[in-house]
Amino acid sequence: MLNLADAAVSPTAESSATRFDALFQRFYSELFGLVYRVLGDRMETEDTLQETFLKLSDDAGLQARPDPEVGAWLRRVAINLAFNRLRSAKRARARIERVGRLERSDEEPTDSEMLGPAGLLVRHEEQAAVRRALAEVPERQRDCLLLRHSGYSYAEIAMTQGIAIGSVGVLLARAEHAFRTTYRRQTPQ
Amino acid sequence: MNTPSAACPDIGVWRAWLDREVDAAQLEEHLAQCPGCRGVVALLREDADHVRAAFALLSPGQAGLPSTADAAVARERLEWQRRRSVPELSPLYAQEPIPMFLSRISTPWRIAASAVAAAVVLSILVSVTPEGRALAAGFLAQFRSQQVTAIEVTPQSQTEIMRTLNALGNLGTVNMPGGQTGRPEAAIRNASEQAKTATLAEASQAIGFKLETPDPALLPTGVDKTPRVQVMPSSQIRFTFDKTKASNYLKSTGHEVTVPDKFDGATLVVSIPSAALLQYGNGSSKEALIVGQAGELVVDVEGKVKLDEMRDFLLSLPGLPPTVVNQLKQIKTWNQTLPIPVPVDQMNWQSTNFHGNNQGLLLNDNSGVGSAAIWYESGHMYGVAGSLRADKLKAIAESLAVR
Repeated sequence: MLNLADAAVSPTAESSATRFDALFQRFYSELFGLVYRVLGDRMETEDTLQETFLKLSDDAGLQARPDPEVGAWLRRVAINLAFNRLRSAKRARARIERVGRLERSDEEPTDSEMLGPAGLLVRHEEQAAVRRALAEVPERQRDCLLLRHSGYSYAEIAMTQGIAIGSVGVLLARAEHAFRTTYRRQTPQ
Repeated sequence: MNTPSAACPDIGVWRAWLDREVDAAQLEEHLAQCPGCRGVVALLREDADHVRAAFALLSPGQAGLPSTADAAVARERLEWQRRRSVPELSPLYAQEPIPMFLSRISTPWRIAASAVAAAVVLSILVSVTPEGRALAAGFLAQFRSQQVTAIEVTPQSQTEIMRTLNALGNLGTVNMPGGQTGRPEAAIRNASEQAKTATLAEASQAIGFKLETPDPALLPTGVDKTPRVQVMPSSQIRFTFDKTKASNYLKSTGHEVTVPDKFDGATLVVSIPSAALLQYGNGSSKEALIVGQAGELVVDVEGKVKLDEMRDFLLSLPGLPPTVVNQLKQIKTWNQTLPIPVPVDQMNWQSTNFHGNNQGLLLNDNSGVGSAAIWYESGHMYGVAGSLRADKLKAIAESLAVR
């Protein structure tokens, strides 16, 4: 239901295509930021978002729901797919190889110039440590942490996780403490 | 009393207060009087600050977020995947037709892939604009690219062009290389994936003229002076109108367009020339440079329909952005000018001369990371692109010669 080609099937298809476009334009960039934090690789992030929006494109009923609800659904699916991707042993191997090859290219040029090769290596180690710690936090807390520190409001977090807005603070507080404890254990100073 | 009591707000409330997510006045009053809660808040703040600092390392940063043009390309790729309906989700990356070192300038190249596809449909339109009809005067049956001009496109109009192009299949049959039917854009992607490694001599033979190379002294430092040479085969896309199919489709989309009988079976033939790519750089070099050379792109029409009639029909297609159509109409030498869509949110462009009086385009990535040049000379198209500043790139373009 995405393009003119489908209009032949249904007279409402064109407006449905417009609706999907609007959702894509509204949410693509912010979901990119969210998923990139999990995966740390632009191509993996793009692939995850392709998968996420493909699922949305298959569900006309979902697209018809209000934007905040669709946004919550997209975030939920994107986060799950991102962590699945991270877990998948096969993809992880490919990813390690690719990140290795792309090490220079995926880095901002200003960063590489400012940090130098040694600085970049340290930066990658630090990023890996954060991701390792995040992966050890219980799932609900982990998602809450990720959403909050990607800039989402409590209302958006509550809707994404299907919890009461009043529960977000507790979940977040516990998540931050759990993360900090794990992170400290992994990177003893 | 140094520990919170049952009457004190719980940690969730305090955490929300730190984020200004709850009403503050009453809580602040309580905090002023309760050392226990002050202790809780101090710990919460410490944890939150710590996590914030750690997560800042993971942020893609403003520069790393996809531009609107990136999003438009992703949107098009999504559509393509939907239509292919194959389980593998990342065919482009899995096959990696473009060397990995080019990923530094990957965004412009991904844009370029779409731009080439868009250029084809734009060329068809250029061939058949109203001004074109007057010029045609019955003897110009053909479009042959001899020069280039910039057409400014926004991500939105780019998406619209691609969608219209890809909807051509509803008006007839699109035949791609190898007898396949499908979407024109897929044919172009397919051609780029069929690139074969060759020697300079082999590549010259494939494209039909002697390849030129840049002055090695001007190449970026650290770049291998010997290029990797690849040849992309020529290809032809044929689009044959089907009156019944087109009428049904247009009716179903709510557009009252009458399709004359003679359109039935009329065929547009777009011949994309064989192209050679010289790639300078390797896995460990910071800089990358590509020099591309190809012949003319030719658009013909077969059947009872003339170009101007084809124009009327194509311009009546729903979905083409008027701003783009207007720019096309202003091209004077329509029958030999290849329009190059320039995504203006991502690139600056200027018209400039290369190798003497050969007019062309110099494109500059807004971020200053990459630039590109494209021009026609003696019926041959030349393109240079790289992770270089535009002035350096222009010098390399000027140095191209048969060596």
